[in-house]
Amino acid sequence: MRSVRRARPSFAGTSRLLALSAILLIGLAACATKPPADDPDAVADFKQTNDPLEPTNRVFYAINNGIDTVILRPLAQAYRFAVPGAVRQGIHNVLSNIATPGQLTNDMLEGKPRRAGDTAMRFLINTTVGVFGIFDVAKRWGYPDHDADFGMTMANWGVPEGPFLFLPVLGPTDPRDAAGFGINIAIDPFTWVGGPNDTGWTVFKWTRYGLNAVDSRERVLDSLDQIKKTALDPYATFRSLYRQHRHAQIEEMRNDHGATVPVWFPRPASESSASSK
Amino acid sequence: MIYRRPFLTFAAASALLTAVHPSRAQSADRASAFLKSLGDQLVAVVNGPGSIGSKRAAMTRIIDSDVDVDGIGRFCLGRYWRLATPEQQKQYLKIFREVLVTNITSKLGDYQGVTFTMGRSRPQDEEAVVSTTVIRPNNPPTAVDWIIANPSSDPKVIDVVAEGTSLRLTQRQDYASYLAHNNNSIEALITAMRNQVSQNS
Repeated sequence: MRSVRRARPSFAGTSRLLALSAILLIGLAACATKPPADDPDAVADFKQTNDPLEPTNRVFYAINNGIDTVILRPLAQAYRFAVPGAVRQGIHNVLSNIATPGQLTNDMLEGKPRRAGDTAMRFLINTTVGVFGIFDVAKRWGYPDHDADFGMTMANWGVPEGPFLFLPVLGPTDPRDAAGFGINIAIDPFTWVGGPNDTGWTVFKWTRYGLNAVDSRERVLDSLDQIKKTALDPYATFRSLYRQHRHAQIEEMRNDHGATVPVWFPRPASESSASSK
Repeated sequence: MIYRRPFLTFAAASALLTAVHPSRAQSADRASAFLKSLGDQLVAVVNGPGSIGSKRAAMTRIIDSDVDVDGIGRFCLGRYWRLATPEQQKQYLKIFREVLVTNITSKLGDYQGVTFTMGRSRPQDEEAVVSTTVIRPNNPPTAVDWIIANPSSDPKVIDVVAEGTSLRLTQRQDYASYLAHNNNSIEALITAMRNQVSQNS
């Protein structure tokens, strides 16, 4: 199942943004007030929420929400209005296909050979038969897509997620995923193609980042509208949803034990039934 | 002769046990059948003819009969349930039902053309989890798991998990945060829920 992909500004831009947000965080870091120790339930809640920077996070949530309301959401609406669904799906598929080399690296770093095999087959099939990734033929041929990014990779290595963060541009995240976001861009081969004066590649990269942002936003138009309408505290709701979604993605990856076994290799009956999807 | 009676008792008891505790796989099958029927009803109402008013009424009937609204409501209040007075608990459950019904019925229009496909079902503790894929126009397909309580005796939906996010857990954390920022006042929560219903209905 596809997940929400965030916008990916260029690496230089992102590192500058991350540095800026780090400075802002240090400057603004107001800490959430810890509940009194004589209220164990409240303390347990506070620990479970694990959002010590909540006041600062809420400021960034408000800023991001403002930017979204005036820029990204209207763009996504215009995109949905102007571009037919089938074309949007094609664009989405092309963007996913461009991201497969990075995905493959993460599959391997996660130690998931079967997933890596799926990704490699997806790239080969969809780039050729699927015409530069427009059509997801591989899915029909038994190579379904899955999520992989460096945040998930680090999770599989045992890196803890840390407290909740809400960052400008990135939105809901945590230290592990924020670092993973940067490293993910660094391990994406398309980040490094073309020199600084290569107009063609520069246009390609920025078109890709821009389209990615609009495509991801368009895919969650209805859901986000609904959440904002029904939540009493949208910030807390997004915090909860982000974490649950990440945990589910990581669990799914961890429990994916499909092994790549050659067809001629004799295997126990129990395994052969378990591995058939 | 002497052994016959205990043997019969044992046979009867084991027969009874089998009847009362059907295997876990069987209960997952029943949960699956229950959900298929529930899903078909929901899709029929959403895509069917009739005014918004009649659709809302039909939806409310389905929710009341197949969803454990009070159980979900208690879960969503979390630790504050024990802090609430019996009167507040009553008021809260009443308004919670309205919130749930309004949230579902207010987006009936957006769900026009919805379909779903059934996936696997599996037992989980005392409950059963039925996986589905919900497909609605203009939106990517969504993996939705339905948590069914008492799958073999009195099946009721107690949670909906969309793309790994639990509806009741999210709601609980929303309420908890609201309460934490409003002096833990259950009155304030009930008022906010009332406002929400009047705005969205």
